[in-house]
Amino acid sequence: MYQYDKFDHKFLKERVAQYRDQTDRFLAGEIPDDVFQQLRLRNGLYIQRLAPMLRIAVPYGTLNATQLRKLASISRDYDKGYGHLSTRQNMQLNWPELAEVPDILAELADVSMHAIQTSGSCVRNVTTDQFAGVAADEQIDARPYAEMLRQWSTYHPEFEWLPRKFKIALNGADSDRAAIAVHDIGIQLRVDESGHTTFDVYVGGGLGRTPAIGALIRENLPEKHLLTYVEAILRVYNRYGRRDNKYKARIKILVKAMSPEVFGEKVDAEWELIKGNPQELTQDEIERIVGCFDPPDYPAVPDASSTLASQRLEDPTFNQWIQQNVAEHKQPNYTIVTLSTKATGIPPGDVTDVQMDAVADWSETFGFGEIRISHEQNFVLPDVPQHQLFELYQLARAEGLASANQGLLTDVICCPGGDYCSLANAKSIPVAEEILQRFDDYDYLHDLGPLDLNISGCMNACGHHHVGHIGILGVDKRGDEFYQISLGGNATNSASLGKIIGPSFSRSEVVGVIERLLDVYVDYRAEGETFLSCYRRVGMDPFKDRVYIQESESQTYARAG
Amino acid sequence: MPVLVKDQQIVADTWQLIETIPDYVPANAIVPIHQLTNTNANGAWVDGDIEVDDFGDRLAGLDLVAVHFPMFADGRGLSLGTLLRNRFGFKGELRAIGEVQPDLTPFMRRCGFDAFVLENELAANTAIQCMASMSDFYQGSVIQPEPAYRRKQGG
Repeated sequence: MYQYDKFDHKFLKERVAQYRDQTDRFLAGEIPDDVFQQLRLRNGLYIQRLAPMLRIAVPYGTLNATQLRKLASISRDYDKGYGHLSTRQNMQLNWPELAEVPDILAELADVSMHAIQTSGSCVRNVTTDQFAGVAADEQIDARPYAEMLRQWSTYHPEFEWLPRKFKIALNGADSDRAAIAVHDIGIQLRVDESGHTTFDVYVGGGLGRTPAIGALIRENLPEKHLLTYVEAILRVYNRYGRRDNKYKARIKILVKAMSPEVFGEKVDAEWELIKGNPQELTQDEIERIVGCFDPPDYPAVPDASSTLASQRLEDPTFNQWIQQNVAEHKQPNYTIVTLSTKATGIPPGDVTDVQMDAVADWSETFGFGEIRISHEQNFVLPDVPQHQLFELYQLARAEGLASANQGLLTDVICCPGGDYCSLANAKSIPVAEEILQRFDDYDYLHDLGPLDLNISGCMNACGHHHVGHIGILGVDKRGDEFYQISLGGNATNSASLGKIIGPSFSRSEVVGVIERLLDVYVDYRAEGETFLSCYRRVGMDPFKDRVYIQESESQTYARAG
Repeated sequence: MPVLVKDQQIVADTWQLIETIPDYVPANAIVPIHQLTNTNANGAWVDGDIEVDDFGDRLAGLDLVAVHFPMFADGRGLSLGTLLRNRFGFKGELRAIGEVQPDLTPFMRRCGFDAFVLENELAANTAIQCMASMSDFYQGSVIQPEPAYRRKQGG
C-alpha cells in the first residue's frame, strides 16, 4: 500500500496544527459557529444528536495492522470502545469530545491517517473495490489511481469550497463492487488493446433526494490525463453548480439541467485549454504510485482443497461461511475473506476495540498485515492462505465476526439513523436489528441467494436505500416514524434505482412486509433466478398486490376485532 | 474598520472602492465592471460568478481587479481568480473583497489573490498567520504551478 514519505508526514503535521489553531480560536470565541462548522467539517467533525461524530478517512478502504490498532486505541481512549464502519469505507467515532479532536488527529497522523475531507462541500474520500489488487476478476488495480486522486484533491486551492460534497469512485474489475454509477464521478478502468490503462468517465450519478445514474461522458481517457480531466469537470461544476438550494447543488442536478451531452462538451472545451498543464501525470509519477501497490511476494502455500473439503463436510456452519464469505483470489491457494459485522444484536458496521485489535492480529497471522473496509461495512482480509481458513474461522467466530451472510439479506447496509444522526427522520438500526433477528436461518437466507437490503434513516441516503434490491427509507409522517419500501435498485453492473412500492409502513409492519416480499419472490422465481432478476422480469405488481392486499385484510380484521 | 492585507502584510489602501459612479472618477478607483467603459479608472470589481470569457480580456488590462465573495464558503471566486491569472494573464493586484474569512485566505492566495480586505485588524493578522500555516501542497496552484512530486524529482 501507499507509504507516506517526508512530504506527506510534514503536510499532515501542519494540517493538524492548523486545525488545532482553528479549534482554539473557536473555543476562544474568535470564530463564529457557522464558519467553524465549515472548518471542522473539512476535518470530518460533525455535531450530532448526542455528541460530535468524527469520521476518520480510510483512503479507498485500505489500512494496515498498525493503523487499525491505532483506531482501536483511539476508540478506547477517546470514545466508548467502539467505532462504526461507514458506507464510504471510513471509520466513524460517535462520542469524541470536540476539544480533544486535535489530539485524536495528532495520534492519527503518527500512523499516516487523518480525517481530511471526510465531510464538507469538497472532494471526499475516494473509494474503490474492497477487493482491489487481489480479486480474480480484476483488470487493473484501481488503488494507485485513487491515491493519485487523493493527493491531487487534498487541500485543493480551487475545489475545497464546492457547491456541495463530491464523491469519486473507481473500479478496475469486471464486477463493479465500487458502485461507480451512483457517484458524482465514477471511473471504470480498462486495459486497451495496446496494453495501456484507460478510463471511462461517468458523471452525475448519486443518491440522496434526487437519485440518478451517472452518464458516460468520456471513453478511453489515457491515464496521464486523469487529473486534468477531473480538474475540468470540477471547474465546470464549481463555476456553474447551483448554490442557492442545497438540495439542488450536487453535480447530478447540473448535468441533468445541461443534459449530459452539453455538460460533456463544456468539460471537453475546458479540458482542451488545460491538458498538458503541470498537473498532467508524468510517467515516473504513475510508476512511483503504481509501484507502491505492487503485490507482495506471495510465498507458495499448500493446496489444501482436500482438507478444506472434509472440514466443510464436518462443520456445516464453516461450510456456509466458506460459501458466502470467501472469494476467489488472483494467487493460487490464497483467498479473500469478508469478516461480517452483521451479527444479531449489533448495529451493522459497529466494531469494538477488541475486535479491531483481533482483526489487526489476524491480518498479520493470515496475510501481510493489510485490511480492507468494504462499503457494505465489513472488514476484509485480502490474502488468507486456503489452509488457514479453518483456523481463522474459529477465531472470527469467537469474536462475533463470522456471520456467514456476505451478500445475503442480512448483510444489511445501514446508516446510523435517528439513534445518532441529527438529520435522520427515523431510526434505522432497530429496523436492521429486527430483520437480523427474524431472518437468522442460514438455509433460508442461502436459498434466497444474493440480496441487497439497504436502510437509510432519511432521504440523504447514507444507507444507499435507492440501490438496494430492497430499499427501506425512514420518513417522518406527522411526527411518527414511517418506512417507505422500494424494489429493484442495484449498485453494481447494470445499476438501477429502486421504485417505491406504495404508501409507507409503520415500524412494526416492516419486517412482516419484507417477509411477504420474499414470499412473492420464492413463489415466482424461475430456476436459478435472483431476487433482482425475478423482480425485473415480473415487475412490481405481484409484490404490491401481496403486500397491500394482505395489509388491508389485516387492517379490516383488526378493525372488526 | 476594514483592513487591507497585501503580500502578507497590513498596508494602507491607496484605492477607492466605488459602488455607483459619481461625475469624476479618479484613476485609482475600483468601479463596477459594467461601468468601466465610461471612466478612466484602472480598477474594477466583479462578482465571483461573472462569465469570465466575456470580461477576461478587459479585466486583464487593468491594474486592479477586486472579486466579491458574497458569502463565506462560496468558491466561485477561486475559479475566477485562477482563470484570470492562468488563462487571461492578469498581472495586476487581485483583491478579495466581501465575505473574506481569514481561514479562506490560504485558498484565495493559491488561486492568485495577492490582496485581501479583512473585517478588522485582528482578522487581518489572523489571515497573515493562516497564510503561513501550511508550507507546501500536493497539487500545483497559480503561485506554484508544479505539483510537489515534480519539484521533488527536479531536486
